[in-house]
Amino acid sequence: MQLWLIPLLPLAGFAINGLFGRRFSKSLVNLVAIGSVLLSFAWVLKTLYGLGDLSSAHVEHYFTWIQSGNLSIGCDFAVDRLTAVMLLVVTGIGSLIHIYSIGYMAHEGGYYRFFAYLNLFMFFMLTLVLGANFLVLFVGWEGVGLCSYLLIGFYFDKQFATNAGNKAFIVNRIGDFGFSLAMFLIFINFHSLDFATVFHAAPGASEATLTTIGLLLMVGACGKSAQLPLYVWLPDAMAGPTPVSALIHAATMVTAGVYMTARSWVIYTHAPDAMHVIAIIGVATAVFAATIGLAQTDIKKVFAYSTVSQLGYMFIGIGSGAFSAGIYHLVTHAFFKALLFLGAGSVIHALSGEQDMSKMGGLRKKIPWTFVTMMCAAVAIAGVPPFAGFYSKDAILVAAHAQAPWIYWVGVITAGMTAFYVFRAMFLTFFGEYRGHEHPHESSPVMLIPLGLLALLSLGGGYFFRVPEFLAEFFHAGPEAPEDFTLVAISVAAGVIGIALAWVMYLVKPGMADSFAGSVSGLYKLVYNKFFVDEIYDAAVVNPIVGGSRSVLWKVVDAAGIDGIVNGVGSWARGVGGVLRHIQSGNIRSYATWVVFGSVMLIVAMGLAGGLIR
Amino acid sequence: MTVNLLTVVLFLPLAGFLAALCLPRASSEASRRWALGISLVTFVASLGLLGWFDRSTGGEQFALDIPWVASPNIHFAISVNGVSLWLILLSTLLTPICVLISWRSIRNRAKEYYAFLLLLEFGLIGVFLAQDLFLFFVFWEVSLVPMYFLIGIWGHDRRIYATLKFFLYTMTGSMLMLTAIIYLYNLAHTFNYWAILRMMSSGEIQLNSQEQMLLFLAFFIAFAIKVPLFPLHTWLPDAHVEAPTAGSIMLASVMLKMGTYGILHFCLPLFPNAAHRCSGWIAVLAIIGIIYGALVAMVQPNMKKLVAYSSVSHLGFVVLGIFSFTQQGLDGAVYQMLNHGISTGALFLFVGLLYERRHSLEIADYGGVATVAPWLSTAFLVTTLASIGLPTLNNFVGEFLVLQGSAIANFKWTVWASLGVIFSACYMLWLYQRVFYGPTGEAVRSHVSDLRAREWVAVLPLLAMMVWMGVYSQTFLPSVGKVTAQVLVQSEVNVPYRVETRPHAEVARVR
Amino acid sequence: MSADIVVSNFVSADMLRFLPEIILTAMGTALMVLEPILNKRTSSLFGHLSIAALLAGIAGAVVAYQHGGLAFGGMLRVDGFATFFRVLVMVVGILTILPSYSFLKRQDAETGEFHALLLFSITGQCLMAAANDLIIIFIGLEISSIASYILAGYLRDDKRSNEAALKYFLLGSFATAFFLYGVALVYGETGSINLSVVHDLVAADPGIYGALMGVAAALMFVGLGFKVSAAPFQMWAPDVYQGAPTPVSAFLSAGPKAAAFAVFLRIFLTGFAPIGRAWEPLVWLSALASMTIGNFAALRQTNMKRMLAYSSIAHAGYVLVALTSRSEVGAAAAMFYLGAYGFMNIGAFAVVSHLSGRGETRTSIDDLAGLGQTQPMTAAMLSIFLMSLIGVPLTGGFFGKFYIFKAALDSHLVWLTVLGLLNSAVAAYYYLRVLVVMYMRDPVESAGPVEPLTPGFRLALIVPAIGTLFLGIFPSWVLNFAGKSAALLK
Repeated sequence: MQLWLIPLLPLAGFAINGLFGRRFSKSLVNLVAIGSVLLSFAWVLKTLYGLGDLSSAHVEHYFTWIQSGNLSIGCDFAVDRLTAVMLLVVTGIGSLIHIYSIGYMAHEGGYYRFFAYLNLFMFFMLTLVLGANFLVLFVGWEGVGLCSYLLIGFYFDKQFATNAGNKAFIVNRIGDFGFSLAMFLIFINFHSLDFATVFHAAPGASEATLTTIGLLLMVGACGKSAQLPLYVWLPDAMAGPTPVSALIHAATMVTAGVYMTARSWVIYTHAPDAMHVIAIIGVATAVFAATIGLAQTDIKKVFAYSTVSQLGYMFIGIGSGAFSAGIYHLVTHAFFKALLFLGAGSVIHALSGEQDMSKMGGLRKKIPWTFVTMMCAAVAIAGVPPFAGFYSKDAILVAAHAQAPWIYWVGVITAGMTAFYVFRAMFLTFFGEYRGHEHPHESSPVMLIPLGLLALLSLGGGYFFRVPEFLAEFFHAGPEAPEDFTLVAISVAAGVIGIALAWVMYLVKPGMADSFAGSVSGLYKLVYNKFFVDEIYDAAVVNPIVGGSRSVLWKVVDAAGIDGIVNGVGSWARGVGGVLRHIQSGNIRSYATWVVFGSVMLIVAMGLAGGLIR
Repeated sequence: MTVNLLTVVLFLPLAGFLAALCLPRASSEASRRWALGISLVTFVASLGLLGWFDRSTGGEQFALDIPWVASPNIHFAISVNGVSLWLILLSTLLTPICVLISWRSIRNRAKEYYAFLLLLEFGLIGVFLAQDLFLFFVFWEVSLVPMYFLIGIWGHDRRIYATLKFFLYTMTGSMLMLTAIIYLYNLAHTFNYWAILRMMSSGEIQLNSQEQMLLFLAFFIAFAIKVPLFPLHTWLPDAHVEAPTAGSIMLASVMLKMGTYGILHFCLPLFPNAAHRCSGWIAVLAIIGIIYGALVAMVQPNMKKLVAYSSVSHLGFVVLGIFSFTQQGLDGAVYQMLNHGISTGALFLFVGLLYERRHSLEIADYGGVATVAPWLSTAFLVTTLASIGLPTLNNFVGEFLVLQGSAIANFKWTVWASLGVIFSACYMLWLYQRVFYGPTGEAVRSHVSDLRAREWVAVLPLLAMMVWMGVYSQTFLPSVGKVTAQVLVQSEVNVPYRVETRPHAEVARVR
Repeated sequence: MSADIVVSNFVSADMLRFLPEIILTAMGTALMVLEPILNKRTSSLFGHLSIAALLAGIAGAVVAYQHGGLAFGGMLRVDGFATFFRVLVMVVGILTILPSYSFLKRQDAETGEFHALLLFSITGQCLMAAANDLIIIFIGLEISSIASYILAGYLRDDKRSNEAALKYFLLGSFATAFFLYGVALVYGETGSINLSVVHDLVAADPGIYGALMGVAAALMFVGLGFKVSAAPFQMWAPDVYQGAPTPVSAFLSAGPKAAAFAVFLRIFLTGFAPIGRAWEPLVWLSALASMTIGNFAALRQTNMKRMLAYSSIAHAGYVLVALTSRSEVGAAAAMFYLGAYGFMNIGAFAVVSHLSGRGETRTSIDDLAGLGQTQPMTAAMLSIFLMSLIGVPLTGGFFGKFYIFKAALDSHLVWLTVLGLLNSAVAAYYYLRVLVVMYMRDPVESAGPVEPLTPGFRLALIVPAIGTLFLGIFPSWVLNFAGKSAALLK
């Protein structure tokens, strides 16, 4: 089936644009970049069509990558139903965002560089989902991290951008620390890293082992998918161009953690404790990030925290054993969150770079298409039936309730908050009076068409793509839990209340928000400043390490300590030399004395020694 | 014919050195071209070696054994195996690159400079070929002398302190090793490594555990200084910072490997039980080196020092891999030797290029280089990613194998060592950000230009190797694996002392 | 009839075995006589003549070796050992004369007397090398010493030279006296001064002779230890080497030292061998002390000659390590080492004398600054000698050290070996410092131009350099001979 073509097409695009792009015209760059992605999308469709119903995985082995003793790692790709879903999302959404970027990046420098990076990202993301063993997955895993680093720091002359890039890479490295340890344990226990072998053998392993592995994998997922306590890099990642935020930091890369944990479902089903921890982390992240989202004024930051929170939802799904629900939400979220970001991009583009919502307002007349499409996404994420978000979110919440009711309730509250902050953003941006000084202009069709398509997906995606049914047998899921309408009704109600509240606070009684914020100013400050988490990390982790390395390890241990000893020995030797030199008075009488002294000692000693000989 | 080829590879640089001495002092151009020519021919010859090398058996090949000194019975015994083969190729690949890189930067006394470079190549190749302990020691010392001069004559301001420190540090170790070598000779009455090994495993020579431990330490300390293993590393940063670019490259890429190769080739098989007994301590030192080196690297204001400390960290992985006594660990260690040779060599090369342009090693003097020299920045980025172990680039394979191996031996080791992987990202990316990103200062804008054709020629092979070794390790690993597997067997075999400790000796002794 | 009796007496085997001494004495006296006759212009003739004499002497030594055996009723023993040292000291003589041409010209002190004294001193050393009889040894010692006392003060109008001579003379004769007491004691004890006889007697019953023989050994150790500048009798060396004319210092550091060591080995490995266990610890101590004092004191020296003086103390220590091992292997190692040492050390001194300038004003290490650029050839040669003194492989010095410490380990002197080798790591520092100055510092303009290289002087550098490298790359030639000779010792 030539699966390798799927990732290699974008890679070729990257190579061509990367090497020669600087001399290309924009249209040629577009042709290469978007052409390669569309081709790979087409190839995905053809492949999936060719493979029919993927009741069993289709594996392709290309060459042995690493071979040492009983460790043998192939460069293998595989397609099963889970991969199929991911492939469609990645290439589909990816294509749309590529097209959108033509318009968005039109006036930016480093045009070819941007598209080259984007293609490279596609390559690694597709490798990630196609990999048939943990190490190939890890290749994609690290690779997308690299691309995110490059694209966050795309405007590399801006300090904050490059800082954000480093932060993203390093925090992800902390996650990968866990991931790689998990891989080592997996090999030690199962003597292989191939999914097929490992998951076949996993049920036989002790629960303790599986729990350790599961938790370590989760650490990796927390890094990639921005869960507590490693979420800190994602909000900063908004420093990159908006299409990047949409593609990498909303739709695809950040969901890799969810994909990976879902992929390892066998391990988790046999390690309930690990699963429970995931659920808790998920729900904690969801509510925590949502809270921060309430008070942000930067439109992209709002959606960034929303992403963190939504990823929390997916983890709740995984943690409640509703893997398919998690993936379901992953898909729908890809639709509406990508749309939200692209829409935000369109807004920012319209206001030539303005991101502060306090300088927006009343834009619905000026950029109607953007407004309409974004509204679709808003209702979708708010969980309004029958739009995309509604289905996936409720699938998760129902599963969570079956697992642990309190998680369900926290989830419901979060749903309310989500609806609130999204519509808050919508109202601040599109309703009321325009508070800025720019001359907003609607974006070009090349940007609006992707918005439109994503809008349709956000509206109907949940209804038409029944992911859980599609993945049911893959996850060996038992009969679907009977839809409990009270639960559904409650969560929907929460969403509606959230919307209503936002409507009241920001449209009916403007200023009520500020007075409310004023009344709880302490809390408000805390939330507005994101609970000072970054500051705490700096003070507690970063500064001690850097400072300690400089002032203790380098200056004291290395320079003063070890080198001190080395040089000390040297100068000691020279000191001894100095002393010996002074014995050398040059005075002949003292020499004679020495000779006599020495000889007397010698004679006595030898006399005795000789006498002892028998 | 085959035998000759190995001697050709070994003696071409020596011949080149002697001839270079006779070249006219006036024309440095002549010396340059000569050095380049000879080193290229040597490289081609070593490729031939690769061609004729039978990789199905990684064992010693192209063996040559000529009596040199009658009493004591010293032989000129050389041969190449699946590990040393790659190390030799590394040396022969890097020497022409070093010549190219020094093309413009070395102006005074070019004649001696290139002569010493060739002599250095001779010494390094010899170390990896020698199968006679005495000959090994000879090459070990011979390689020391040209490096001493390279640092001392063409180095930076504190070069004299650095080069003396380098020489004396190594000398101290070598003296212990010499004692051990003579001691072995007095037992075995031969310097032939394989003969001694046979006598030991067959019990002809019997060392009590204390003897074995002392001999092991005598060898190991000499090697550990060269590696360098924490806390014997403090000569390295000074030597690197002061050395000329080519010096740093050869030092980091090849010379440090003399130590790890020695441990692998001599310490483990000859003194298995001592090695096993020390493995815990040594692994701990290696891990300290990994973390410590990374942390200290992170706070260096000087680019070269930063890369130097990163070497301490990288070599820690190698030692850890070796003393995990697992197939993966050893393979990874050897692979990591080669990786470090390529990627750190490249790093020093780029730092040298930057110095050539901006005449400063202080990170603070840079910033925004990416704007004025995009290709240089891209190449540096690839190297950076390689050295922080990004998959599809070379270091990842090595680090993965080493960590997997040590995880099999003792999972705690891997947990700690993996921290080094995190920190490596910190210091390298921070370096990259401060040097290449940000607004472009005036000094940088006016001085720093992009890669020139000659520099491309030097850089491309290294970049190519990074990708190749990262994507298709099967070119290299099989022959390495055969040797390391044999080392593992040998490091199990030891009569009679082993018998009391390792019951399955009889099985293992079959060799 | 009577004539051929005379002839047969004259050319008896004894005479053949005595040939080198005869040749050298003859030429020495001849030079004395010639001196007033020849005028200054042809002065370099003295050098040529004495070199010729020494070459002839070497040939003589070889002839003597072919007719080896005891001579003059067992007073001389012409064996490989003797021949080795005879040849060695004569080679040393040649190596001393080669650089002294230009040196003497510069100090305009070219007289036959210098060469005559040199030849006499060498004669004495040849005698010591071949002596099998304590009195002959003593005579040889005196001949060699007295001549070298005068040589040390050869530059009459140079204060330092005179002071050196005086010190050397006073302390030297003081020490020789000790040696003579030792001889007396041995004679009193055993009634013989013939080493072979002494050995047999003592070996028969060490118990009886133990104590007094111990004392005798001590007394002789004082005398010989002084000659080889072994601790604690090394004081004189730095002052004398620094003060004496450089070629003479070179000669002192190699010739008399080698001869004294020859005697050392002979006496201690024959006569005193049976009580070896008694003297081994003291030689052990002395060896370690010499190495340590020499090397550490040298660390701080700023004067090249003084530095080499301390280094020669340290090297005496290394040879004593060989003696400590009390084995034929050790003796062979010592012989090889002294050979290598002769080449490298005289070579180093030769460079110093070349650069010292008129009145030996420029002998400090800093005066070598930038030599690598101003006179690469000289610098390269000096580097070879220094590398050899450090003990870098492919030089004679390395193999010398190697054999010595191998012998030491053979006799299980592990600690002495480790300490000795670490010592040589320390030593590396001060030798390297010279390389640093030569290559890594720029020439000092004020110092003035360096003496140009004369063809003759090139030879004076190349010969020892070749010798050093030859011993470093093909050591077996010399070593095998040394091994065989050492076997003949007892």
